[in-house]
Amino acid sequence: MLVRRAVAALLVVVGLLTLGYVSISSYIAEQLVYEAPKPIVSTPANLGLHFASVIVPSRDDHISLKGWFIPGILPDGQLTTDRMIIVVHGTRTNRESPGDHLLQLTGELARHGLGVLSFDMRGMGESPPAPLSMGNLEQRDVLGAVDFLRMGTLPFPELGRPRFIGGLGISMGAATLLLAAAREPAIQAVVSDSAYADAAPLLEREIPKRAVPIVGRIPGAFAPSALTMARVLYGVDLFDARPVGSIARIAPRPLLLIHGAADDYVPVNNFQQLAAAATSPATSRVTTWLVPKTRHAQAFKNTGPVYVARVTAFFDAALRSAGSGA
Amino acid sequence: MKLPRALQPLVALIALAFVLIALATLARSVSAGAGFLVERQVVLLVWLAGLVLAGAIFTWIARRSWRRNDSPSSLWLMTVTVLALASPLALMLLQHPAH
Repeated sequence: MLVRRAVAALLVVVGLLTLGYVSISSYIAEQLVYEAPKPIVSTPANLGLHFASVIVPSRDDHISLKGWFIPGILPDGQLTTDRMIIVVHGTRTNRESPGDHLLQLTGELARHGLGVLSFDMRGMGESPPAPLSMGNLEQRDVLGAVDFLRMGTLPFPELGRPRFIGGLGISMGAATLLLAAAREPAIQAVVSDSAYADAAPLLEREIPKRAVPIVGRIPGAFAPSALTMARVLYGVDLFDARPVGSIARIAPRPLLLIHGAADDYVPVNNFQQLAAAATSPATSRVTTWLVPKTRHAQAFKNTGPVYVARVTAFFDAALRSAGSGA
Repeated sequence: MKLPRALQPLVALIALAFVLIALATLARSVSAGAGFLVERQVVLLVWLAGLVLAGAIFTWIARRSWRRNDSPSSLWLMTVTVLALASPLALMLLQHPAH
């Protein structure tokens, strides 16, 4: 009789604990998959650039992403869209991304004669609300940008369609770009700044540092279950974003990997893993740049003209090799 | 074929888990057209309400089964039910999310 009562009591306690644990995890998952977008304050007009606002449909799920189409400026002042760079911002920011001076970088590329298509990824900036997935779903946005450049109705029609499409991404944008470039050969050269090799260890470490309303700081014990609940409730697989698993497929296209040596958000071992995987094919053309004393996604902010010179030289060389059929 | 009474709580637990997941998936499909902001709240509400309802149904089934059966096999099956109920908790707490 005593044993029966003990088992019954255990059933009640375990039942209540499981119910509470799953309920709290579900709530945390709901908070994790979305964050209110940050408003855009400046536009390319603030930098004195010609541009047009565009809507870029994502590939497969056709989400209407808001973006800027900025023609490059040739030395004689003429506009050009011959070479277009798809610029991809990081997580929880937008195409302006003041934290890493992305709009300024965009302006520098345009002044070097490189046209830019920058856009807000799904769920961020002025694009429609959507779940955040660390690049897993967002790669469709980059692929949509490629489709837009190749087949969409472009502004400045007198300038024609681009002959060369490259990509530049920062942080999660870089990881997303790597995932997309591995699938899409039309992206002819890639600059990846501060990408993670695998989202899982990053999430594992970062989620307990975050706070959500009501619960406050997320207890570590809820991190794995919240991520599982995100998959069960919203179909968002936050663990499936692994650029390290597909980066080798970018070869033989040129790839420039940039990372801050003092990055404590995406540690340098991510850069090393990506570089090792990217250089594994015999045909790979990988350039690496580990920027000294630089924290996460701050390479352009810290090095300014050096960064611009390296990136534009990389794209110039990539264009030459693309032109020669290499 | 009638299900042995002592087995009912365990079967109910498994069935309720499947129904809950199916319900959440259905809620996601139905509310997707209204945009993600609506979808995420609808799915959470349906899921939490479903959890509470499932908890009540399971309690009722377990109590009924327990009161009408005091055989040793029922004790073992109830122990198995406790373990099954605790397994998500144990798996989540012990597993490394990267694997």
